[in-house]
Amino acid sequence: MTGGMDLRNLCGRFRLNGWAIGLGLLGGGLGLTGCGSSTAGAVVNTQPQVTVNGAGQVRLGSTAQLSATVTNEPTTSVTWQVNGVAGGSAALGTISASGVYTPPAALPATNPVTITAISVSAPSVSGTATEAVWNPLPTVTAAVIPQDYGATSGILTVTGTGFVAGAQLQVGGASVLTTMTSPTTLQATNPVVASGVTPVVVDVVNPDPGSATSPITNAQVQASLHSTARLLDQATFGPTLTDIQHVETVGLPAYLNEQFAVPTTLEADITTPPPTLCTNNTIPCQQAEWWQVALTGQDQLRQRVALAMSEMFVISTNMVNARAVTAYQNMLANDAFANFSTTIKDVTLSTGMGAYLNMLNSAKPGVVNGVPQIANENYARELMQLFTIGLYMLNQDGTLQLDPSGNPIPTYTEAQVQAFARAYTGWTYATATGGVPTSFPNNTPNYDAPMAAVESQHDLIAKTLLNGTTLSAGQTSGQDLAGALANLFSHQNVGPFVCKQLIQHMVTSNPSSAYVSRVAAVFADDGTAQHVRGNMQAVVQAMLLDVEARAGDSNPSFNGGHLREPLLYMAGVMRGLGYTFVGAGAGTGAEYYYTPSNSISPLGQRPYASGSVFNFFAPEYVIPGTTTNAPEFGIENTATAVLRLSLADNLVYNRVQYFNVDLSATSALGMMASATGNATTDSTNLVNALSNLFMHGQMPTQLSAPIIAHVATILNNPAERVRVATYLVITSSFYKVEH
Amino acid sequence: MGVDRRTFIKYASLAAAGNAAALRPFGALNALAQGTTPDYKALVCVFLFGGNDANNTLIPFDMAGYGNYATVRGPIAIAQNQLLPLVGSLSPNTFALNPSLPEIAALFGSSNVAMVANVGTLVAPTTKAQYQSGATVPTNLFSHSDQQLEWQNAAKSGATQTGWAGRIADQLGSAYNSTSQVPMITSVAGDTLFCNGSASTPVSVSPGNLGGAQCSEGITECAAQQATAQALLSFDSGLTLVQADNTITSNAYLYAKTLTAAVQSVPSLNTVFPSLNGLAAQLKQIAQIIQVRAALGVNRQIFFCGVGNFDTHSNQLVLQNALLAQMSAAMNAFYAATVEMGVQNNVTSFTMSDFSRTFQPNSNTGTDHAWGSHHIVMGGAVKGGQMYGTFPTLHLGGPDDSGTNGRWVPSTGSVQYAATLASWFGVNAAQMPLVFPNIGSFTKPNLGFV
Repeated sequence: MTGGMDLRNLCGRFRLNGWAIGLGLLGGGLGLTGCGSSTAGAVVNTQPQVTVNGAGQVRLGSTAQLSATVTNEPTTSVTWQVNGVAGGSAALGTISASGVYTPPAALPATNPVTITAISVSAPSVSGTATEAVWNPLPTVTAAVIPQDYGATSGILTVTGTGFVAGAQLQVGGASVLTTMTSPTTLQATNPVVASGVTPVVVDVVNPDPGSATSPITNAQVQASLHSTARLLDQATFGPTLTDIQHVETVGLPAYLNEQFAVPTTLEADITTPPPTLCTNNTIPCQQAEWWQVALTGQDQLRQRVALAMSEMFVISTNMVNARAVTAYQNMLANDAFANFSTTIKDVTLSTGMGAYLNMLNSAKPGVVNGVPQIANENYARELMQLFTIGLYMLNQDGTLQLDPSGNPIPTYTEAQVQAFARAYTGWTYATATGGVPTSFPNNTPNYDAPMAAVESQHDLIAKTLLNGTTLSAGQTSGQDLAGALANLFSHQNVGPFVCKQLIQHMVTSNPSSAYVSRVAAVFADDGTAQHVRGNMQAVVQAMLLDVEARAGDSNPSFNGGHLREPLLYMAGVMRGLGYTFVGAGAGTGAEYYYTPSNSISPLGQRPYASGSVFNFFAPEYVIPGTTTNAPEFGIENTATAVLRLSLADNLVYNRVQYFNVDLSATSALGMMASATGNATTDSTNLVNALSNLFMHGQMPTQLSAPIIAHVATILNNPAERVRVATYLVITSSFYKVEH
Repeated sequence: MGVDRRTFIKYASLAAAGNAAALRPFGALNALAQGTTPDYKALVCVFLFGGNDANNTLIPFDMAGYGNYATVRGPIAIAQNQLLPLVGSLSPNTFALNPSLPEIAALFGSSNVAMVANVGTLVAPTTKAQYQSGATVPTNLFSHSDQQLEWQNAAKSGATQTGWAGRIADQLGSAYNSTSQVPMITSVAGDTLFCNGSASTPVSVSPGNLGGAQCSEGITECAAQQATAQALLSFDSGLTLVQADNTITSNAYLYAKTLTAAVQSVPSLNTVFPSLNGLAAQLKQIAQIIQVRAALGVNRQIFFCGVGNFDTHSNQLVLQNALLAQMSAAMNAFYAATVEMGVQNNVTSFTMSDFSRTFQPNSNTGTDHAWGSHHIVMGGAVKGGQMYGTFPTLHLGGPDDSGTNGRWVPSTGSVQYAATLASWFGVNAAQMPLVFPNIGSFTKPNLGFV
């Protein structure tokens, strides 16, 4: 309409071209020729005129300052329109009184937009400029390639800002098929190969208008959620978000090495006198210490191995003083990564085991008050049957050796049980200072010291042990003990016998014979220059990083795993949901940590409360009506299955006495459950979060879809959504069986 | 035990309160619940885990017999004047019971209890000489786990994956319980081999927790939540253990619904069971289920219960006496409950245990694992007041000692004991070898005590 307008338009085009071909230098040059200047013409114009100046383009997410120059009018103020709409609109972008144009959230339907400035004093006079709206400049804040353990590729995920539809990931400068998850997240549709050594260079290209490329970033290769959460399920008392993120960063082997180095969280001796809670019974105080360590200890792997060992080398508060049990637990935790020969010696001389299986105060055979007595066979038998070699000769892969008739071959005879029983005679409680008592039996307990031997009570007759080994006549208690334990430790059964059970407790009920064999081989020789036998740290590492342990990382339907025993179920849900101890009020202490035992007691389990040395369940247990070996199913039946449903109800209802969990509408899960107001979206996000916490992000659609559909029917009650979704997840057999 | 026991019980009662609320949707009363069944029989196994010392359970009372006992047992011998002499049909003053068994002694006197002497696991009748010259006997004779399984399967090999009650259920289920909503076998002491058949699995019941799961959401949401939870069980993930747990949980929903509906319609029994007695709680639960047998549609039932800690390697007198006292009071109350229900002639209870213990004590005033043992059979149908089988000669290294410490070679096989009970229960001659593949090795398949 006016010359000024034409001139401004001209300038706008030049500037656009200038940007496209070489940015500011040429544009600046054009500016010097007079664009936007009202004094460019030779003829002086006296008509009122409005001239609008601006950069001519603006990126989404930023703003543009426009200016209006009013000439030949008494006042210079203007009002602004966008495409004829005063002040603009959400769809067109808005413009402020001072001429700041803010583009809409996404590219406008008409692009560029026209900005009009209208003189206030002469409303018929206006000037316009066009403003092209461009896609934003993409930036990358992080690029990660999560890999399942052992894999060499993973789905590249890039987070940053300014991603728009059509944004393209480039890996090493080449475009890859890209899925846009959100304006801040892009994923490569297909796995990207990454060695972890050569950097994977990543950038993001936004499309036209204003196509632009982010600076390059090196993608970080990290452990996948599948691998980290699964490992944590196997190696700890349950994954937490914090632990998952940590292991994702450092990777599985480094995490294990960290855990091997974490010092033992020791249970304190129960005080004398005990806390008021335990005046008449110290067991709750022992239980409290156990739960506090399991739920909060930093030495999670050590404690998890100690749990497995406590279910292999069983003692029970049913028969053993709780003070001896805390000492025993500390011993197992300290020895979790020690040499197995150390563990078995410490178990043997512990007062807890001594009292439980009666090596404590077992005297040599003899005639007392005219009555002939025999050496107590209890520990001698169970040390072989249950703790070291088992009943039958084994191959390294854990399968039975058979005689020519196809029958299993017993490992020992009743006569050998009696010989070992005599080898273990003479031991009783040490004195208060850990010394040898002057009388036998010494019935003043010292639970913190190993048992001590009273030589006069030790059997001196020669003993014929396994594999032709003989303990000479006349040896001391200590010599016979060392000889007997060395005889057992060197037996070929120990590796497969112990390793298979450790695998069953921590990884899978039915390990392949090849898996058992690989781990047992590490037991036999840890691969170091010293060729150490019985290195349990090496065994634990080999067990957890074995291809069979990790197969489920990438293949959720890999047929393995084991039922979560009530202890692990309770701890896992409590840690996953973020239960915290609140105690019983002022003046009370950590002794009230015992209450999770109340929650699971009806299911047939409490820490260190097995009904017998055969543990809560037997390693060889077979599910009725099947041929499937699955130890933990020994306490899973139609009664306990119902009780576990009730336990889950208590857990989602914050009913663990002296603990608290926030699953309310304002909790993290609660807010997720109502974030968008779209029932399906919110329920999906909630269930996905629970899948990450409890199923390693591997919940199958056949489970998630019905749960999402159900939860979405719950309206206006985010807390109930959280409770019901959590209940349905943790009561599903897919969660109960850790796999 | 003060605080611990109180708090544990307190929490248990919370769960029980929830059960009642949660089960309202299934609360339809069953008019048949208190009806009678014309031909009802039940077997009740009381398992004494750990190996009960039979030598201090049933004791010779005559001068010479007791004298020999006291000499060998020394520190763990029970004074003769504390023993409970058995009357019944026995010659006076020949045998006596442990002083912790007064109720059992009284039931023996009223001919409702019989004793079966020196029963143990055998492949075939075996003498000491045969044993010592290598005759085939069950494997791992003195191992708890193996001998528990041997007693429970009563088969040729401990490796058999079915128990003798389970095999009875396989054989008799369709004939007797064709309309039943629950399995023939109920365990109130967890899962054991005894209860597992080839085609049948037991229902497990937690004593005092008969009903379904507690749910704290509103009634409507609880029903919906349970429906979804049950629907999730039908998803076949292909994972063996997940599938196994789906099956158990599905059955759990079904049985809880059935049992709860049945028991809601009957008044409590008047019989008082001893408190703070785990075995009594189990037997009380069994009695409650027998009470609603008609509603459950069962004509034959087998129950399993048990009590542990009989592995008395030390301090035996104190430990065993307390356990036997618990057992005696619990079994007595259970018998009284069967009388109250009028089914005392239809219910036969019996003990089993891993093994007996060495007649010779060890150096911790305890005893070690042995073999042949004495057992108790109780019920109105029992030909009680008598001792069956052959009492062993209690001499170390004597004619019945498998070695030198008093581990008696059984004179009666556990399979004969089991087959006698099974025969009363309704297993016919044709079915007998199917249930007890080894019974043909014994000349006397029925001991005649019931």
